Amino acid sequence: MAMSFKKQKKGFTSFYMGIYGVWLVAFVVAPLLLLLVQSLQNQSHQFTLANYQDFFTSGSYLAMTFNSIWYAFLITVITLIFAYPTAYFLTTLKNKQFWLLMVILPTWINLLLKTYAFIGLLGQGGLVNSTLTAVGFHPIQLLFTDWSFLLVAAYVELPFMILPIFNALNEIDPLLTAASQDLGANSWQTLKKVIWPLSMPGVKAGIQAVFIPSLSLFMITRLIGGNRVITLGTAIEEHFLVTQNWAFGSTIGVILIVAMVITMLLTQDKKKGGRS
Amino acid sequence: MKKLRTPYLVLMFIILYLPIIYLVVYSFNSGTTMQGFAGFSFKHYNELWEDTRLIDIVFQTGIVALLSSLLATIIGTLGALAIFRVHRRAVKGALLSLNNVLLVSPDVIIGAAFLILFTTLKLSLGFVTVLLAHVAFSIPIVVLMVLPRLQEMNPDLILAAQDLGARPTQVLGQVTIPVITPGIIAGFFMALTYSLDDFAVTFFVTGNGFSTLAVEIYSRARQGVSLEINALSALIFLFSLLIAVGYYFINQLNRRQKAPELREKVK
Amino acid sequence: MVEETPILEFSQVALSFGDAEVLKKIDLALEAGKFYTLLGPSGSGKSTILKLISGQLQADSGKIYFEGKVINDVPAEKRRVNTVFQNYSLFPNMNVYDNVAFGPRLKKLPEGEIKEKVKEMLALVKLAGFEKREITELSGGQQQRVAIARALANDPEVLLLDEPLSALDYKLRKDMQQELRNIQKRLGITFVFVTHDQEEALAMSDWIFVMNDGLIQQNGTPEDIYDEPINHFVADFIGETNIVPGIMKEDYLVHFVGKDFENVDAGMRPNEQVEVVLRPEDLDLTDIDNGKLVVTIKDQSFRGDYYEIVAVDDDLNSWQVQATNPATIGARVGLTFDPEDIHIMRYNESEAAFDARLESYDEEEAEAALQAARDDQDGSGGHD
Repeated sequence: MAMSFKKQKKGFTSFYMGIYGVWLVAFVVAPLLLLLVQSLQNQSHQFTLANYQDFFTSGSYLAMTFNSIWYAFLITVITLIFAYPTAYFLTTLKNKQFWLLMVILPTWINLLLKTYAFIGLLGQGGLVNSTLTAVGFHPIQLLFTDWSFLLVAAYVELPFMILPIFNALNEIDPLLTAASQDLGANSWQTLKKVIWPLSMPGVKAGIQAVFIPSLSLFMITRLIGGNRVITLGTAIEEHFLVTQNWAFGSTIGVILIVAMVITMLLTQDKKKGGRS
Repeated sequence: MKKLRTPYLVLMFIILYLPIIYLVVYSFNSGTTMQGFAGFSFKHYNELWEDTRLIDIVFQTGIVALLSSLLATIIGTLGALAIFRVHRRAVKGALLSLNNVLLVSPDVIIGAAFLILFTTLKLSLGFVTVLLAHVAFSIPIVVLMVLPRLQEMNPDLILAAQDLGARPTQVLGQVTIPVITPGIIAGFFMALTYSLDDFAVTFFVTGNGFSTLAVEIYSRARQGVSLEINALSALIFLFSLLIAVGYYFINQLNRRQKAPELREKVK
Repeated sequence: MVEETPILEFSQVALSFGDAEVLKKIDLALEAGKFYTLLGPSGSGKSTILKLISGQLQADSGKIYFEGKVINDVPAEKRRVNTVFQNYSLFPNMNVYDNVAFGPRLKKLPEGEIKEKVKEMLALVKLAGFEKREITELSGGQQQRVAIARALANDPEVLLLDEPLSALDYKLRKDMQQELRNIQKRLGITFVFVTHDQEEALAMSDWIFVMNDGLIQQNGTPEDIYDEPINHFVADFIGETNIVPGIMKEDYLVHFVGKDFENVDAGMRPNEQVEVVLRPEDLDLTDIDNGKLVVTIKDQSFRGDYYEIVAVDDDLNSWQVQATNPATIGARVGLTFDPEDIHIMRYNESEAAFDARLESYDEEEAEAALQAARDDQDGSGGHD
C-alpha cells in the first residue's frame, strides 16, 4: 500500500512536471534562445557578431541605452518617493484592505485608457492648462515633453510600487514599533531604524516591479512623449514592427536582458543588511 | 506624522483617480474633445452602442482574458505542485528562476521573443497566438500565488490523510486543493489582471484580423481623440468598481464566517 | 502606608475599548526598588496597566504619576520605563549587539561607552560574547535574555515585564524566575511583572496585585494574599482551595457543614452569611472519631511529594486534601484542621473594609489563637 501510494504520487508529480515543463521549454527557454540566435544573424541569416558591434560603436544607441536606464531610474525614484508614505499610511488605516483594493482598482483600467486620459489632461485646453490659465498663468506645452512622459509613466507604475511595500510593511510586527518607542525612539527614528530596514524586501520588490517595465513603455513614449523620448523599448518595437530588422531588434533585446539581470543581482545580493 | 496622514492619502487618491474621473466626466460631454466641457449628453454612449467593431473587440478581449486565465491557472497550479515536490534545492531554485523570467522581462522583449517563436512555428498571427501568449505570460504569477500556500500547508495533513487510507487522488482533491484554493483564486485574478492590462505583448503577436481593446485604443488614440473611448472607459470603470466592491464585501463576509475553520486548516 | 513619594501612582485610572471597560478606576502606588507582580487571568486588565505605564496606551480618565509628576501626556519614548515584551519583539534586522545598543545609541552616547554598556548588560543576563549573533540564531531562552538586556541597557527606573516567561518550558521558566529576582535585587530598580501564573507570582514578588474584570481584587505580600484572600475569586485563583458556604454566628465562631467551629476571624455581623476557606495542605485525614468532619474518599492521585485526595462530606461538598500517606478509596474517614487554618470571607467586602477589619482585631486574634491552641492541646494535635 505504502509503496503504491508513493509510486502513484511520483507518477502524478512527473505528469505535473511534464505539463509545466512543456511551458517552460516552449515559452521561456525557446523564445529566449530564438532571440539570442536571431541577434547573432545578419539579414541573410549568417552567423555574425556585427549587430553587437554596431550597437556598441553607435553613439546614438549608447545614448539611447543610457537614456532608457536614466528614465527608468527616474520613474522608479519618483514612484518610490510617493509610494512609500502612501503604503505606510495605508497600513495604519482601520479598513486597510479596502483602501488597498482602491489602490489596485486603477490597475484594472487598461494602461492605454489611462494614457489616453492624460492626452486630455495635459493637452492645450486640458484640465491642467485651463487651471493654469484660470489662476493667471500662460498655458504651457505639456504633452510631448520629457516631463509628461515621466509623469504618465510614474502614474501608471505607482500602484505596482505601493503594493509590495504595503505588504512588507503590513507584515512587520506592530509590537516592534512599540518596542522601539519604548526604548526611546520617536516616530521618525522608529521609521528610520526599524520600519524602513524591515520593509526593504518590499521596497526591492517594488523597484523590480517598476524599473523593468519602465524600460519598455514604448506606447507612452509614442502617445505622450511624442517620440521625443526614445528608449530601448521603443527601439525594439521599431525594429520589429516598423523597419522589420528583427536581428538588430533582438540584439537590443538581449542587451536589455543582460542589463536587467545585472540590476536584479545588484538589488538581490545584499540579503543580510548588516552594517560594515 | 498622524496629522499628515489624511491630507497625504486624500491627495494620493485624487492623483490615482483623477485621470479616470476625467475620462468619465468627458464621456458625458456633448462636444467632441476632452478640452472644455460643452454640455451634458449621452451621445457618445450611443456612438459606442452603434460601433459594433469596438463592442466585438471588448468581447474578444474578455474571452481571451477568461480563457487564458483559466488555462494559466490550471497549468500554473500543476507547476506549483511540481516545484513544491522537487526536493533538491538547486533544482528548485533553477525552476523558480526560470519561472520568474517572464515576470521580470520587459513586455517588449516577451512580445518580440514570442513573435519570433510564432513565426518560426509558422503560426498565423491572430486569436490563437494572442491566447497562447497570454496563457504563457500568466502562468508564472499563478505559480507564485499558489506555491506559498503549499509551503505553508501543514505536511502532517497529507500524512494524516494518507494514514487514514486516502488514495493520492483523494489526498489531492480533498486535502491539498481545498487548502491551496485561496492561492489558486488569487492566481486566477492576477492572471486576469495581467491579461486585461496587457498591451505590448498583444501588440507584437496579433495579426490583422484580431485585436484587443488596448491595441485598438492605441491605434485610435494615434489618430486623435474620440469620446466614444471615454464612454467605454466609464463603463469599464463602473464594472471594475462593482467587481472590486463586491469582491471586498464577499471577502469580508467569508472571513467572518470562515475564519476559525480556515485557520484550523492552515495550521 | 507609603511614606516617601511612590515612584509610580495611578489615581482613578479608567480605560475602555468601545463597550468593554478594561480598567475601572484603578488606584495603585508602587514604591521604588521593589518587585511587583500584576496577577490575573487574561482579560483582567493587567497588561493594560503595563501599557499605560509604558505609554503604549492612553488612559480615558484618571491620572498617572511618575515620581510625583503627572505623565499622562508624556510620549512613550520620553518615559523612564522600559518593557520586556511577551514575544520579546527583538529587531530581526539587527544582531544582538545592535539590539542592546538601540537605546544607548538613541541617547547619542559615545560608541565606547555604548560598547561597555552592552558588554555589561550581556554579562548580567549571562550572554557574554553573544554580541555578533543574529537574532534568528538564538533559542527562545536566549532571545528572552537579550530582550531583558535591551530593556535594561536604557537604565530604566522601572522595568515592565509582560508575561516574559510564558513561552519558555517549565525548567527554563523556573531558572529565569530566580534569575530575574536576582537581577532586580542587584540593580535595585522597580520591576513590574505581569503574569497569569500564580505560582510564578508567589515565588518572585515582594508585592502582588491580583486583578480580575478590570479591578484590583486584592494587593499584598504573597503570604497575605495566600493566607488571607479577600474573596472567592482570589482564594480560587491563588493556589488550590476548598470553599464552602457558612454562617458567622459570632466573633470567633463559624458554622458550616452542620457544625460549629472555633476560628480566629472577627468583625462580622452576628449570623452573617460568609464563605469559609480551607487550604488542602492545612487539612489532615484521621480516623472518624477524631475528625471534625466525616468524609468519604472519592479519588486520589500521586503528585510526587504528596497525595492529592478528593473527599466528599455528607452535604456533598467536595474537599481537596494534600496528604503524605495514601488513603483507601471509598473509606469513611475523619477530616481535621486547626482553628487558625479557617479563613472567613465576607461577600462583596471591599479591600479597604477588609483591611480595616483585619486591623481592628489583630491583637485579639493573637490572643484568641493562643487561647485556642492551649484549649485544643490534647484535642487535635495532628497538625505536623
